Amino acid sequence: MTDFNTNDTMVEMFLFETAQLLEQLEQVILSSDMNNYYSEENINEVFRIMHTIKGSSAMMMYNEISVLSHAIEDLFFYLREENPEQNFCSSLNDLILDCVDFIKVELEKIRNHDDVDGDATNLVNKIKDFLSELKKNSGSNVSNEHYEVEKVNLFKAVIFFEEGCEMENIRAYSVIHNLKKVASEVIYYPQNILDDDGSVEVIRREGFKIHLKTDKTKDEVYNHLMDTVFLRELEFAEIDEETFSEGFDKEVFDYSSSEISLQDANYEEENNNQEGNILHKPDENVKDSQEEEKLHTDMRKINLEEEKKQPNAENHNVMPTQNIISVSVAKLDKLLDKLMDLVGELVIAEAMVLQNPDLEGLELDNFQKSARQLSKITDEIQDMVMSVRMIPLSATFQRMNRIVRDMCRKLNKEIQLEIKGEETEVDKNIIERITDPLMHLVRNAVDHGIETADERQLKGKPKHGTITLEAKNVSSDVHIIVRDDGRGLDKNKILRKARQNGLITMDEADMSDSEIYKLVLLPGFSTNENVTEFSGRGVGMDVVAKNIESIGGSISIQSEENKGTQMTLKIPLTLAIIDGMNLKVGKSTFTIPTITIKESFRTNKESIIVDPDGNEMIMVRGECYPIIRLNEFFKVETDVTDISDGIITMVSQDGNAICVFADRLLGQQQVVVKSLPEYIKRFKHIKGIAGCTLLGDGSISLILDIASLIHIK
Amino acid sequence: MKRVLIVDDAAFMRLAIKTILEKNGFEVVGEAKNGIEGIQKFKELQPDIVTMDITMPDMSGIEALKAIHAISPNANVVMLSAMGQEVMVKEAIMSGAKSFVVKPFKEEHLIKTLEKIANS
Repeated sequence: MTDFNTNDTMVEMFLFETAQLLEQLEQVILSSDMNNYYSEENINEVFRIMHTIKGSSAMMMYNEISVLSHAIEDLFFYLREENPEQNFCSSLNDLILDCVDFIKVELEKIRNHDDVDGDATNLVNKIKDFLSELKKNSGSNVSNEHYEVEKVNLFKAVIFFEEGCEMENIRAYSVIHNLKKVASEVIYYPQNILDDDGSVEVIRREGFKIHLKTDKTKDEVYNHLMDTVFLRELEFAEIDEETFSEGFDKEVFDYSSSEISLQDANYEEENNNQEGNILHKPDENVKDSQEEEKLHTDMRKINLEEEKKQPNAENHNVMPTQNIISVSVAKLDKLLDKLMDLVGELVIAEAMVLQNPDLEGLELDNFQKSARQLSKITDEIQDMVMSVRMIPLSATFQRMNRIVRDMCRKLNKEIQLEIKGEETEVDKNIIERITDPLMHLVRNAVDHGIETADERQLKGKPKHGTITLEAKNVSSDVHIIVRDDGRGLDKNKILRKARQNGLITMDEADMSDSEIYKLVLLPGFSTNENVTEFSGRGVGMDVVAKNIESIGGSISIQSEENKGTQMTLKIPLTLAIIDGMNLKVGKSTFTIPTITIKESFRTNKESIIVDPDGNEMIMVRGECYPIIRLNEFFKVETDVTDISDGIITMVSQDGNAICVFADRLLGQQQVVVKSLPEYIKRFKHIKGIAGCTLLGDGSISLILDIASLIHIK
Repeated sequence: MKRVLIVDDAAFMRLAIKTILEKNGFEVVGEAKNGIEGIQKFKELQPDIVTMDITMPDMSGIEALKAIHAISPNANVVMLSAMGQEVMVKEAIMSGAKSFVVKPFKEEHLIKTLEKIANS
């Protein structure tokens, strides 16, 4: 057993399963928190989860985790059995969530091969205090067992069990239970093997003593007893009627004066009831196995009917990922990344073959036919691999529950988090990169968006604020919406602040609402003058915007004063492969994501407007758009400098559009997005480039970052 | 080689038991993650020994034990219990469990118990 925690598969399985269970546990707690009530189901669920974690962590010798989960298990055992009045729900939830956090930290240490050195004593004590508080007003009942008797041969036996076999009293009971098949009368000492905590100690110290009457021979009974599991020593002899009927009175006397029962008496004094034996003085050594034994011998009367776990439909559909994967996640991750890379290479190789320069100008009917077939299959493979990489947003969304809850309690607000469309799937790379921005938005909504209950009531709003977290598929994007029904954004405040920070570049009177709201996304903007614990610790909305843009997404903001704010994140389904349009500028190739392209057209000098600064613009259907000449912007040499010789492509993102001028269009193709090599990124942040890709002929094309180009103009 | 069926809701526990058993010359013929599955697999696989967890969702180990006992009164079922489940272990023994091991168990304890039962 000792080498379990050095056994990688075992550790991995332990981490995986425990993390899963903790997540489940969090869900249960949060759902109880919402109802401010622990349903029987939830209590059972928590009990079962802690029971499992206790078992696994004890096997792995992570004692603190095991002791802590043990304490919680005890507490929920009590809740289940005694069903006390529940006026403790939220304080209990705080406590349990603290415990969950503790275990999570420990798991993280295990994962990183750090020393698992957390100390749970404090939490364990808190739980015990909580339990004793609950118990103050309740008692318990104890039942006794009796056996019936006949006679023939008389024997005496003393059984010693092996050290460390645990539950000696039950083992003794099991011996008696088996003896009843061969003996007509059995008396034994200690008598109260099931109901007396001390009996375990007595059996360990003095052995389990039995007198029995039977019609079987000495050998038969001896052999029968020798079959006892964990038998260390058996003293066995025939006795006479007198000894038999004397029983164990003497020993009983000894026992009553023994150390154990004194201890028991102390306990009783302290707690005044039988159940009190479960209680633990906070400073007692928890790891002491005797203590543990004592703690638990009182756990009885378990109603087996209740053991049956009623499947909790709600809990199941909120965690769609949970029952799907049971292989090592890390391994799968690696595999998927590799597979994705290979598919990327395949797409490139396909382009290399199909657009091979050697084929130019040839009429190859059969080749084209086979090529189409190849493309079809490549597409299919790509779709498949993509779909495996898709993960539902539910886990990410559910994490927000916890954030909202914790913040509400600290800020004393009442907020309900509504989650919609959490089954929406996005690429796992994207999930990883939107979690933080999303958290930031939710925090902002709780902290700045939703007003306090008093303020809300003054405004005639319901006391409860509502934050809605919604995800939905819109063409090849996923929209994630964070909506609150709070105070909304204050336009004047935003403008004032932007003015202070010199962020306004155009006439304020001309700015539309959404342009004003967008100011908050600029670096160096933060309307919240007082930095709170939760939001605005130097990391502003600009970081959120940047994160979202870095994955090719965008943010739009809508708001109405006193009605609320809505932030919409538009996120691409995947980062890895996009449809792109290739453009030629001099000897360089650029790729524009097809989704941003509005139109391409040729124009002439007459249509171009030049402002006094020399910026070129073009009128299209009455709207004026700035022009970016790629050759000038990226300082690429080209012969095509006359605007009428090249081609203009209008691209847009978030309702803003610009025109890009290039030499010519090369054509549309799927490209595999590769990020720019580290050494380039380290050297310089190149504006306007989102990444690069390999083309069919093996050359490199730079993928334009439309959002940042628009930003620059 | 004795054929063992492992019934436990925790995948970790199943793996732990399986690792121990296979190292010690037992053949693990099947695993089940709750009582219902346990009964089904018992019927299917006819193992020599069943290791049975007590606390499991859907159907507890005790109920499964009772059902298995009803199918085959001589079935060798070893309960895996945690500290504090004395009452349930007692019920299991009354319902025909051959023995029990207390979690967290030592490798030799599990093996000793199973060997004893396999040879009786």
